[in-house]
Amino acid sequence: MAHDNKHKIRIAVDAMGGDYAPGEIVKGAVMASQKGDVEIFLVGAVPLLEKELAKHELTSRSSIHIVEANEVVREGESPATAVRNKPNSSIAVAARLVKTKEADALVSAGATGATAVSAILFMGMLDGIYRPAIVGSLGSFAPNTVIVDFGANMDCKPHQFLDFAIVGSVYAKKFLNIIEPKIALLNTGSEEGKGNEAVRQAYHLLKSSGLNFVGNIEGNEILSGKANVIVCDGFVGNILLKFYESIADYALRWTKKRLRRHPPLLSLVTLLFHRLFPATEIASETNEGGGGLLWGVNGIARIAHGASRATNIVQAIESAKKAVRMNVVETLKLELAKYQPRGRS
Amino acid sequence: MNIEEQIREIVARITRVDKSLITRESTFKDIKADSLDIVQALVAVEETFGIEIPDEDAQKFRNFGDFVSYVEERVAQKEKV
Repeated sequence: MAHDNKHKIRIAVDAMGGDYAPGEIVKGAVMASQKGDVEIFLVGAVPLLEKELAKHELTSRSSIHIVEANEVVREGESPATAVRNKPNSSIAVAARLVKTKEADALVSAGATGATAVSAILFMGMLDGIYRPAIVGSLGSFAPNTVIVDFGANMDCKPHQFLDFAIVGSVYAKKFLNIIEPKIALLNTGSEEGKGNEAVRQAYHLLKSSGLNFVGNIEGNEILSGKANVIVCDGFVGNILLKFYESIADYALRWTKKRLRRHPPLLSLVTLLFHRLFPATEIASETNEGGGGLLWGVNGIARIAHGASRATNIVQAIESAKKAVRMNVVETLKLELAKYQPRGRS
Repeated sequence: MNIEEQIREIVARITRVDKSLITRESTFKDIKADSLDIVQALVAVEETFGIEIPDEDAQKFRNFGDFVSYVEERVAQKEKV
């Protein structure tokens, strides 16, 4: 199985995490390994993983190892206590491989909370960042607009919105080439006193941050391009993400229903819709295939969608590789250092 | 820096609460620490002092003072051995 591993990117894959684990995860890892530019560490129960691996034919380009982890963090367990109490869980072992520099990145389709906690505890946070966030841009409708956070932080403290603004700003500069990104706070009104307590406090922190803060933005202006970075907590961001991605599908269903008595027109509109559909797909340098990179941890941790099939795992591994090659952690560190002296409590 | 000050620094850094606001009477709720803050603080203190703090012990801490006293005791025990 071993090949020339010198220049391969090493990915620790939590093989027990996800709705279709370990079968689809192993299959995805095998598919990803065929390219020959990656060395994969499948982390999980050895007998199960050996059985799954035996179902696939490995080529000489494949480089896959099994790393033993006898516990699993289940959906519904408290992530913070589960990760601490299950040091031999697949996600904890995979995160430790990155900590010890035996792997360059972590990929998991397991519980998002458990992956985030493992990344925080084992890789640590970058100086100045409290918790990791998921970043993505809104694709064709608003290619120069980034949303932070898409779901890593359900309950946020006011200072986290400032972290999100910094992370989003770095993303917009580095990946969208926007020199001075305009930052806005997603809110229920444009006036300063709008929103819940955390958002109101966040407004004041952002205003005095030294960042290019343009104030509150409402839901109907998200796609307007008025802001390049829109910050919100992960609860709101995740609802927004899923709603946004569902629009095209529902619009097509509705249109089909309206045009069912006009087949030629229906065919034309359907074709058009299929061409337009990617307009509502969230775009990111690192989040193809659902999920996303955890921005702010001191290492690369890539969350894959919980319902990931093999192809999604391939995409997640590809995007983790891309993040390693783009050196996103070092880039963020450098940018964070510039913001530290300004407006931080 | 004594043990109490070191723990105060750790908790302040993790929770981003001004350390002057963390008194021996402060509860985790008072400083708005969530479950992950607490776990991070426990892990950081374990690493700093080379001790283990089982969850069943940590759950008995009523306030910051209890946390400090527990660590002081464990460190003293460790030094005896």
